[in-house]
Amino acid sequence: MTNNWMKRQRLLGYIFIGPSMLGVLLFFLIPAAYSFGLMFTNYKFMNPNVDFVGFANIARLVKDPMFYKSLKNTVIFLAAVPVSIGIGFIVAVVLNQKIYLKKLLRGIYFMPYITSGVAVAFVWMLLFHPKQGPINGLLRSIGIDNPPGWLSTTTSSMFAIDIIWIWFMLGYNMIIYLAALQEVSPELLEAAKIDGAKPGQILRKIIWPLVSPTTFLLLITGLIMTIKTFGIIQAITQGGPGSSTTILSLYVYQNAFRYYDMGYASTLSWALFVVILLITLVQWIGQKRWVHY
Amino acid sequence: MSKKTWFAGMTSLVIASGVLTGCSGNGNAVNTGAEASPSASAPITSGETVKLKMWGGVPPESGPQAVVDAWNKENPNIQVEYVRYVNDDEGNLKLDTAMMTGQDVDLFVNYTLSHTNKRIDSGFALDLSGFTDYNIEEKMGSDSENWKINGKFYGVPTTKSSYFVALNKDALDAAGLEVPKEWTWNELREYAVKLKTGDGYGFLQHIEPYADPLDSVLSQEGYTKADGTSKLDQPLVKSWLETLNGMMATDKSTPPLGEQLTSKMPVEQEFLSGNVPMLNIGAWLLRSSNNFTDFPRDFKIAFAPVPRLTEAASDYVTRGGLGDYISINAKSKKQAAAWEFLKWYADGGMAPMASGGRVPASKDADQATALDNLLGDKADTYDLDSLKYVMFENETPTYVRSLPQEVIDMRTQEYENYFLGTQSLDETIAKMVSRHNEFLKLNK
Repeated sequence: MTNNWMKRQRLLGYIFIGPSMLGVLLFFLIPAAYSFGLMFTNYKFMNPNVDFVGFANIARLVKDPMFYKSLKNTVIFLAAVPVSIGIGFIVAVVLNQKIYLKKLLRGIYFMPYITSGVAVAFVWMLLFHPKQGPINGLLRSIGIDNPPGWLSTTTSSMFAIDIIWIWFMLGYNMIIYLAALQEVSPELLEAAKIDGAKPGQILRKIIWPLVSPTTFLLLITGLIMTIKTFGIIQAITQGGPGSSTTILSLYVYQNAFRYYDMGYASTLSWALFVVILLITLVQWIGQKRWVHY
Repeated sequence: MSKKTWFAGMTSLVIASGVLTGCSGNGNAVNTGAEASPSASAPITSGETVKLKMWGGVPPESGPQAVVDAWNKENPNIQVEYVRYVNDDEGNLKLDTAMMTGQDVDLFVNYTLSHTNKRIDSGFALDLSGFTDYNIEEKMGSDSENWKINGKFYGVPTTKSSYFVALNKDALDAAGLEVPKEWTWNELREYAVKLKTGDGYGFLQHIEPYADPLDSVLSQEGYTKADGTSKLDQPLVKSWLETLNGMMATDKSTPPLGEQLTSKMPVEQEFLSGNVPMLNIGAWLLRSSNNFTDFPRDFKIAFAPVPRLTEAASDYVTRGGLGDYISINAKSKKQAAAWEFLKWYADGGMAPMASGGRVPASKDADQATALDNLLGDKADTYDLDSLKYVMFENETPTYVRSLPQEVIDMRTQEYENYFLGTQSLDETIAKMVSRHNEFLKLNK
């Protein structure tokens, strides 16, 4: 009797997770395994002639200067994440106080996150225009004669993208922090105040450690999401000028869907996977030092 | 947004991989399909309606819809439907995926040799030598040679594609300058300086034909040396880089490339609004210049050939010749009907396309009608002599860009780095050569 009941329970469980497992299997696991196989072939999209090439793609990757360039660009791109989290925290703390138009301001900060990426791209392109753009207009009016070229030079373009990304992620980081700040118990803050802690100390020694699980969550999800992003860069610069904004995910995309070189693109995407894995591992290990549950 | 993008990216990846698995099973079927002789396909029997789908990159309202409407009226047995794909990476991927998954694609238009070659290699473009009732070479002239692949036609090149420098005739007259019939880049540079006013520019280039001067030289001499290594260190490559860089940095007569790229400068609009008096572009300019609603204009447009890098005019070849290479899907079961339509299209059925700058190449097509369609009621806003010269009379031999997309991209990246001042001239050439060599080694 109990045995039967257990069996039925188990079966029911499988039935419930079935549809989603089917989705994961069909749309994720099988394609992933398939791309792992492609890594060892010279498969070009459409082309029926496929040869097994062993480790040739990996050898090519190791020697490919564009791979290292894109890796470096990816690292610069990722730098936007902690900056955005930091600013998001400050904004959240400020908006958590009793200030005027709090709700409106929260809405405004969150706007970028729900705006269409292409629209975002075009607005920033106009803002960043080296000659007629309002940003450089402002800089010139306050006496800077040679404002940066932003997107239009190979040295500054990746940082310009960073600025856009920080701005884009800010609203999301802020909202999550706002929720976390609600959880901070007022008793702790009051106790600290009675003990004579200054506002800066409260922020650093009490609030920041208490929201550290949130910071950790934002850091992991932010880094993973950022490393996989390519749409915004594709819309703004297509990886240029030169190859100065070609990040790894964009390089995968170009190889796959511009050159149809699926074998090499698969190799690159597995390299991307290894990078994500390493970053996540480092964070899991590192979290013990600074995340307090 | 990025969530959406990620989702879209993932979906397309999954679709692509689904397609791959689906295809690896019947890889053989693709091959046999390509080998089957066209005449073996089902003949057209009366009373039965054949439905064809033609994929092309021109917006339907710029001609194609008028073309298929005219055909459908005359031929109740063969009804053609036009499907537009955008001629960019995503659009071409869409077309290729449609063919891979066996959706209805009977005819498709190729715009570059690079794409054509991929479609031939995968067995999707039908070898047209099976059809003997239409001599492509005789109809289209000797320029069709550029579209022969391994000695065979896998499509019909249907348009005369012309590339030119469009000139603001009024500005030239005011400066006392002639409309040139042949010129060098140095001469163009002088024009640009003379025509530039204040902070404005004297010369603009569309990004698509930007590097054509390089291909003009190298398509003749070959992209590789006798020993199989890259020839991107040809001295004229260097002189092109220097000339343009001088125009950007010293003369300030053409926009710095970085500024043009990242602001996505609308070059047609800059030219047609009268801001910049010279524009290096192709026949598709007519699509905008005939449109006075969006691009009001108060000057006459004259046309000059694209300038050359070589000293002697006799050594020069210019990009152009024929374009819009229409292929029949080798897996289509309606090849005979598609061929009927294609012949009619090439021999003048495509006339309405001229309003978008696409002039029929066939000698049997009526050039006067084409010119009428091309200019519409705006004929008096063009300098007709120079227009006819660059489009029809110029005897300069032509080439079609044949470089693989990978090489075009790496070359572009390196010259962008140079024009943006990130690397020196010699470094640029050295990098172009070494990256090209690397590519050649991989693709031996």
